[in-house]
Amino acid sequence: MRLPSILAVATIVGAGASLGAWQLSRVGVHQGYAPGQPIAFPHNVHAGENRIPCLYCHYAARTSRHAGIPPASVCMNCHGMLEKQTTEIAKLKEAVQQNRPIAWVKVHNLPDFVYFNHSQHVVSGVACQRCHGPVEQMDRVRQEAPLTMGWCLDCHRERAKLPTLGIQRAALHMTHGSKPTTGLDCASCHY
Amino acid sequence: MADDSHVTAPKPPIPSPQPSPARRERGLCNPILLSPTGGEGRVRGPVKSAQSGLVRIGERPAPAYWRSVDELRDGPAAAGEFPGGLGKASGSKAAEELTRRDFLSLMGFSMAAVSLAGCRAPVQKAIPLLVGSDQIVPGIARHYATTCAGCPSACSLLVKQRDGRPIKIEGNPQSSLFGGGTCATGQATVLSLYDEGRARGPSWQGKPTSWQELDRRVLDSLRAAEAARGRIVLLSGTLTSPSTRSIVQAWMRRSPNFRHVVYDPVSLSALRKANEQSFGRASIPHYAFDRARVIVALEADFLGTWLSPVEFARQYAASRRREGQQPLHVQLESGLSLTGSNADVRLPLPPSAIGLAALGLLRRVARRAGAGEVPEGPEPFDAKRLDAVADALWENRGQSLVVSGLQDVSVQIVVNALNSLLSNVGKTLDLARPSLQRQGDDAAMAELVDDMNRGRVHTLILYGVNPGYDYSDAAGFLSGLKQVALSVSFADRLDETSSAVHALCPDHHFLEAWGDAEPVHSHFSLSQPLIAPLFDTRAAQESLLRWLGEEKPDYYTYLRDFWRKELYLRQVAMKGFDAFWDRSLEEGVFVPESTEAAGPAEETHFLGGWKAAAQDIVEGSRRAQAGPRGGPYEVHLYESVALRDGRHANNPWLQELPDPVSKVTWGNFAAVAPALAARLGLENGDVVALKSRRGQLELPVLVQPGQAARTVSVALGHGRTRAGKVGLGVGANAFSWAATALGVRRYSASGVTLEKTGRKDPLACTQTHFSMEGRPIALETTVEALREEAAAPREAEVLPSLWAARPGGEHAWGMAIDVNSCIGCSACVVACQAENNVPVVGKDQVQRARAMHWIRIDHYYRGPEDNPASLHQPMMCQHCGNAPCETVCPVLATTTSSEGLNQQVYNRCIGTRYCANNCPYKVRRFNFYDYTQNPKFDFNMTSPLGRMVLNPDVAVRSRGVMEKCSLCVQRIQLAKNDALQGKRELADGDVQTACQQACPAHAIVFGDLKDPESRVSQLRQDPRHYRVLEELGTRPSVGYLKKLRHPEET
Repeated sequence: MRLPSILAVATIVGAGASLGAWQLSRVGVHQGYAPGQPIAFPHNVHAGENRIPCLYCHYAARTSRHAGIPPASVCMNCHGMLEKQTTEIAKLKEAVQQNRPIAWVKVHNLPDFVYFNHSQHVVSGVACQRCHGPVEQMDRVRQEAPLTMGWCLDCHRERAKLPTLGIQRAALHMTHGSKPTTGLDCASCHY
Repeated sequence: MADDSHVTAPKPPIPSPQPSPARRERGLCNPILLSPTGGEGRVRGPVKSAQSGLVRIGERPAPAYWRSVDELRDGPAAAGEFPGGLGKASGSKAAEELTRRDFLSLMGFSMAAVSLAGCRAPVQKAIPLLVGSDQIVPGIARHYATTCAGCPSACSLLVKQRDGRPIKIEGNPQSSLFGGGTCATGQATVLSLYDEGRARGPSWQGKPTSWQELDRRVLDSLRAAEAARGRIVLLSGTLTSPSTRSIVQAWMRRSPNFRHVVYDPVSLSALRKANEQSFGRASIPHYAFDRARVIVALEADFLGTWLSPVEFARQYAASRRREGQQPLHVQLESGLSLTGSNADVRLPLPPSAIGLAALGLLRRVARRAGAGEVPEGPEPFDAKRLDAVADALWENRGQSLVVSGLQDVSVQIVVNALNSLLSNVGKTLDLARPSLQRQGDDAAMAELVDDMNRGRVHTLILYGVNPGYDYSDAAGFLSGLKQVALSVSFADRLDETSSAVHALCPDHHFLEAWGDAEPVHSHFSLSQPLIAPLFDTRAAQESLLRWLGEEKPDYYTYLRDFWRKELYLRQVAMKGFDAFWDRSLEEGVFVPESTEAAGPAEETHFLGGWKAAAQDIVEGSRRAQAGPRGGPYEVHLYESVALRDGRHANNPWLQELPDPVSKVTWGNFAAVAPALAARLGLENGDVVALKSRRGQLELPVLVQPGQAARTVSVALGHGRTRAGKVGLGVGANAFSWAATALGVRRYSASGVTLEKTGRKDPLACTQTHFSMEGRPIALETTVEALREEAAAPREAEVLPSLWAARPGGEHAWGMAIDVNSCIGCSACVVACQAENNVPVVGKDQVQRARAMHWIRIDHYYRGPEDNPASLHQPMMCQHCGNAPCETVCPVLATTTSSEGLNQQVYNRCIGTRYCANNCPYKVRRFNFYDYTQNPKFDFNMTSPLGRMVLNPDVAVRSRGVMEKCSLCVQRIQLAKNDALQGKRELADGDVQTACQQACPAHAIVFGDLKDPESRVSQLRQDPRHYRVLEELGTRPSVGYLKKLRHPEET
């Protein structure tokens, strides 16, 4: 009589505590976040159907820590010539005509205490989809990965073991040193 | 208190040991100079550890260093090893009275708050440019060359611009004058750009107006002035800009009633006047300290503030690095200056005796040169030491240099005579290609104030000056300003002067403006805007051109045309003006080929006239002896290294920068000698009243070792009444004491009384923070000792380690700091603050030992308290291989990286502060408050404007976390990425830390210890290299090169 009730209470408390702990571990994790944008830009049309390379618009990802949202002038490289007109394209053209920058909503937010550099990953041959998911299939972009530190390190630890890195490093004429730099040090990202 | 008879009488020198043969060979020495205590030296009071010989830890003897007079007398424990605990300092009573129940409920609340905060997705906006540019890629910093306008030295800069904002000042290594160094003030000028105290736009009598309206009023008034033949005066600071000078010339051509008066708050006009009389040139020589083997400086702080400190620091440090050939530097001064603290031989003298000392030197040198007799006069100092200095000078004729910062024409003429008799003119000082850095004319300024008060000035245009604050007769100036029909100011804010003018026409900050400079004859540099003007300001040159009658003036076009006409033809390398302009803009500096090719200038003929000057000095001292008026003390006014003449008083970085010598922040003080303090019963922080004919000054006392006996030193540049929220009312204004006499403003006063007020005003002084408990931290050696070591090399001791060896990474970052090159100027401290988003905490927090600087410069004294030797040692995280901080952290927030960096992970830190307590180097800093959000810390990080200076690559730390030097890991990572992008290896020198880049003396070297060819690896092999407290087994990545004492000194 007594034992089962104690067990039941313990189970409930235990389940509650684990649920709470799990919830706490998800604090600040926004996997699946897919906010609406001022202009409903369909990545599936651009990157999917029309096969525009990611780095055509997000050119800063090649050299900078930020991938950058393309300036409206980059959109107008094509849309200045295309006849297709929708309400969303009209919003873009209106912004350009009125000289008004577009305030997009950031989808992938890292905390301020993390330094992440896109160019380092792009030049090392990490595909955009590896972190951002199949963007070329998304109508509205959502955060595919959890973007937690453990998730970053999963990949970093894997790549530390990959033999291809050695080949890649040889291709880069990097002979100095023995251990591939995969950034497992805290100070690779936290400073 | 008033009688003070013991001071002036010279005491016999203490017999000194025989010089060793090695010393005799060098031909520079004199045994008298070796006297450890000099003439007046003596140690007062009981001395425990510091003077009791050597302190030993492990096998290494430590020299008897001390940091404060209390420490010298009572031993190091007095200062305490762990200041800055929570205690009362938390500011709220709640923290002290917190019960367990309160704690639990607060903890529960925090948990709930965290969970709630996590439930909602924060919406962040990303706003791209509308029209892309290949010049601006978000996240990529670019450097542009420009010229500093922080003071008239006009150093060449490279300014880092990130996302359209200038965020960091660096020196321009292309500059042959400044060599890539900067000073603390220059480093801090970037923060002045984002100063909330700046004027938002033009105003007329305090009310905002439009530029058109203002131009109309000014032009009307100028027309009226022309019609009435009223005088138009431009009162400016030193104009180093040649194109601006040409605009002024255009004004002169246009109107016969136009006058240009140049005014420097801290002037060198006596030097110019003396040179006019001695050499027929009213100019300031260009000095070459690196060519001098003997430097004698009389009250000239040439490494800190005098004329061109960055350039002189570069020269000085370069000559110090010549091993075995180190120059002998003798400093005669009243207060311990930065330069004096680096001197090999220093004689503390009251200001009134320094002229006599110069004369004494001339007497001795003239006797040797057979140049006739110099009038006899009193010698209130150790005559034998002066003999030795004169000997050293004479033996190094043509390779010596005597400079004086005294505002006394007679003394300057005597100095000219000395340099002339020593054949230094044209060798170590160049009058043919003079410096253009301080052009102020005190006599013209005094005349102007007089004219203004007589109503003889119709229009007064103020450009870069604030005489309502920094003129000795500020009240006279301001009353004269009321007599002027139209007064216009280009000041950047409503300051003491510009709040009293009719029209405020705010000039751009120099980072928003075009411009040029010629700090030294035929050494040009350009300025370019790094950001569009933040406020509705207009370049002063544009205003001047507009009022000359140009309808749509454009200073940029004017500047280009000026360079086309004046400078383009002085070179042949670049074909086409556009190419020349682009290259000059890119490099930032331009030296015409003719200047480069020319050898040393021809000797300038000395016109004599020194006998009259000598007579003048003797008679002056007799007059002073005959009728002493007022009290027995003298006051010596000086510029502090951080605040200089006070124009940057609203800059919190500079207010919080510990003074390189006294380590006092936030305010000035009356520096008194330890002996005087003991006699009058004064302690640090006792407020005293200084009274003379010039008025009364109330200041807290600082007992300053090395201070001349009956002299009180007071820093200028404090006590602003209208500067902005930060600088308002910090310290007291001493400019009123700089009275004009015989056409020059003097920065000293005699006949001063000193009275204790009984009040206390505790100083915020970091000198005694973080006691080193007498451990051997700073070390020094001599050439001789090094030679002995080399002859009998000791085997390197292998220290056993409890720790397993760590696997190394690709690099092993390390740093080597040459304490012998370091002059202690503290440029690195501000550079680090700018680079790493180090917060300003304010006076109250500094008093609680909570200053946040990641790098500090420790100032150690050795020897007697009335004239000690000094040593400056930069101290920051030593990045131990076996870090004591690491083992005590309960949450692994601090660990050692595979590349030898001690990394601090802010998001993991829970703020136990165990690490700080366990750090033997005392370099960890704790965020007691949230300095970016808490309105109590209203300096720069709490406002959106002030936050624009923050470096986006470095996290801003929140409350409750520990932080410390990261060896600029963001720069390391960036350089690695650049190498990756360029498919190349990192080369030595690719990574420069912020402190290293800023250092004008090039004392800091950073690099990869795994690369045996790197400069830092080479320095590790230097016999002077050591690591601080190595015997503890911490294996620091940072090493030091011992201070090399001159054989004359030790």
